[in-house]
Amino acid sequence: MRLDYDDETETFRAQFVTWLEANLPDPALTVDRPTSSADIPAWARQFQRRMFDDGWLSPAFPPELGGRNASLFEQMVYLEELGRRHVTRSFNPQGLGIVSATIVSFGSDDQIRDWAVPIMRAEKTAALGMSEPDAGSDLAALATRAVLDGDQFVVNGQKVWTSGAHDADVLLVFVRTNPDVPKHKGISALIVETDTPGLERRPFPDLGGPDHTDFNEVFFDDVLVPSTNLVGELNDGWRICNGALAHERAMLWVMWSQSLDNMLDDVLEALRNTPHADDDVVLDGLGRSIMDSHAIRLLGYRQLAKQQRGLLPAEQSILKLMGSEAQRDLASLALETLGAAALDQTIDTTVRFPYETDRGAVSWSDRYLFTFAGTISGGTSEIQRNIVAERVLDLPRG
Amino acid sequence: MDFELTDDQLELQRTVRDVLDREAPASLARDIAEGSGSADELWATLTSLDWPALCLPESVGGLGRGWVELAVLLEEMGRHVAPGPFAATAAQFAPTVRHAGTPDQQERFLAPVAAAGATGTLAVDEGAGTWDLDQIGASATRDGDSLVLSGIKCFVVDGATAEEIAVVVRIDGGLRVVVVPGEAVVARELDPIDATTRHATIDLEDVRVDSDRLLVGSDSDDAVVRAVQEATVGTAASTLGACQRILELNLDHARERRQFGVPIGSFQAVKHKMADMYCLIERARVLVYFAALVFDSDDDRRVIATSMAKAGAGECQQRCVRDGLQLFGGIGYTWEHELHLFLRRAKIGELHFGSSSSHRRRITRCAMSAL
Repeated sequence: MRLDYDDETETFRAQFVTWLEANLPDPALTVDRPTSSADIPAWARQFQRRMFDDGWLSPAFPPELGGRNASLFEQMVYLEELGRRHVTRSFNPQGLGIVSATIVSFGSDDQIRDWAVPIMRAEKTAALGMSEPDAGSDLAALATRAVLDGDQFVVNGQKVWTSGAHDADVLLVFVRTNPDVPKHKGISALIVETDTPGLERRPFPDLGGPDHTDFNEVFFDDVLVPSTNLVGELNDGWRICNGALAHERAMLWVMWSQSLDNMLDDVLEALRNTPHADDDVVLDGLGRSIMDSHAIRLLGYRQLAKQQRGLLPAEQSILKLMGSEAQRDLASLALETLGAAALDQTIDTTVRFPYETDRGAVSWSDRYLFTFAGTISGGTSEIQRNIVAERVLDLPRG
Repeated sequence: MDFELTDDQLELQRTVRDVLDREAPASLARDIAEGSGSADELWATLTSLDWPALCLPESVGGLGRGWVELAVLLEEMGRHVAPGPFAATAAQFAPTVRHAGTPDQQERFLAPVAAAGATGTLAVDEGAGTWDLDQIGASATRDGDSLVLSGIKCFVVDGATAEEIAVVVRIDGGLRVVVVPGEAVVARELDPIDATTRHATIDLEDVRVDSDRLLVGSDSDDAVVRAVQEATVGTAASTLGACQRILELNLDHARERRQFGVPIGSFQAVKHKMADMYCLIERARVLVYFAALVFDSDDDRRVIATSMAKAGAGECQQRCVRDGLQLFGGIGYTWEHELHLFLRRAKIGELHFGSSSSHRRRITRCAMSAL
């Protein structure tokens, strides 16, 4: 065990920092802000493209896909340096992190050329169609039907919670292609362009307010999709779906750790200006959050060390659970600490960073409510606990 | 960066497990709890295997392994509720002499530990139960070639049996350590919740020792601070091990015990509690090993790392004891079942060397002063 990095990794870090400092966009341009998770302002598109072209967008990938074949530890210091500077790689995170990554892993060369690369270069934006009204935690129960008819699929059904769909150019949609086999075995993944006839997107606001619109319902009414848009093999969608989420989860802890640290900084700063700075109960509660933030980072380090040794780490399954709940608990503590003043929705609680997403309101009460996005989306905390119990602790499935 | 045990450390962990599975079964802890057993044979075995020497520096005849290896040993000792003087000697006495003693004093007091399993401990608290160094009132005064001590020390692990006791006292306007022979003090043994650990109150009043027993390797309070930090993390590591075993016992039970025609482990109410125990154990584990690494790498985050390790182990203990006992149902509430042995060891670790909440407050103060 050791705490410091080897020279090679430090050299990599220095190279990236040098590049980043030379290439960050002019802060004056950043007044143009994104309105959804698939809306990328022009300046941010340009920056994302520059990252891709210089091999700094997805360092693990080869140069032709925006990377430089970086090692696991290099990827981590890369994310750490971005986080430290509050720089968002892509304002279409699900497009970069899930959709394009999935196409690169499972798609054909043509699909990589036509969709993955344009998404990575911010020429197109993408959204992810997974959940349905009757398929949330039980995702494999999804019912949106795709029937192969000659050289195209006919798609009918409905998705929901499709973040950014109203601003996206393409969707990666999981559909049922065989209803006569066990539910996990009849799912496929399709790329669907959002201007295809029969596809309708209805954005709806989340609990942040009537203008806080990112979610969509997406309706498919005899939507015709070329069979060449099938990603991977027919009926192999469940494996692809798990792979897609694995992409999201592998390094996601860096994001949890970073956002928890950011919130902690804000709370500690706010605390200074209140009479509670010496309140034992407040100090006690914050101590727990500081421990959470350290533990999450250390668990991430341990996960990496295990991956490096070729092991399958169990840490991944607890990092999302711990990270999202730690953030919720800290926000709740912030409200309690700051008292009734924290309920004022007009109070701005965060320091804004020009290269970071900041959609939505930022009062403490809003920040508290938004933490539930973490404990609900991408598999609720309850589902995560089932996964830990069954896959890590080997308890019988109920 | 490599935050996982190396192959050598994993090998050590396997060896330690094998030895303790064989030499320290739960029946040994039970015999001691029932007044019929002794830890002497185990200590003789561990000494013959060089455990006391493992993490001592080569300069005193030790094998030179570090705090990570010590944490591995202490965690496994907790996981086996192993009785005996290892924890106090290796994680309390030895770090104290290393930080506070001159090279000659280290040789004098630690070479017997490395060579023959001499035992020692550390005496800090004076009754408040907080291990707060500001509250130390015990003192030493010079009288010719002697030191005359005054005060009492409480909750001293192995206080009635250790051969040497590193006593924290005030002298020369600061906190220093005097190594007092166990036989020189009057010790009153307590009756702790975990009978496999021994604790005593020791009376220092008018105890007279040679002045060369004052450790003079450092002329600041810092040596005492460092010693107490390491003893604190040692307690956390042992607590962690006991919690790990509580979870393991519960997992076996939940897979085997059937009600309503199915194993109780298939119920979500049970699964979710176990998932939470697991998360808290892993959280505590990374915090304990982080502290061990900080000690080994001479990193400047000792204060926060120590408190995070201790509070992490304390929090995981609170949950593992509460839910671990609850999920066992009636059988866990019997003397016959081995569960309580581990619950008791875990509980001891909560309050020794500062409560979880006192450490959490220290963490926040530390973070606020760093802003």
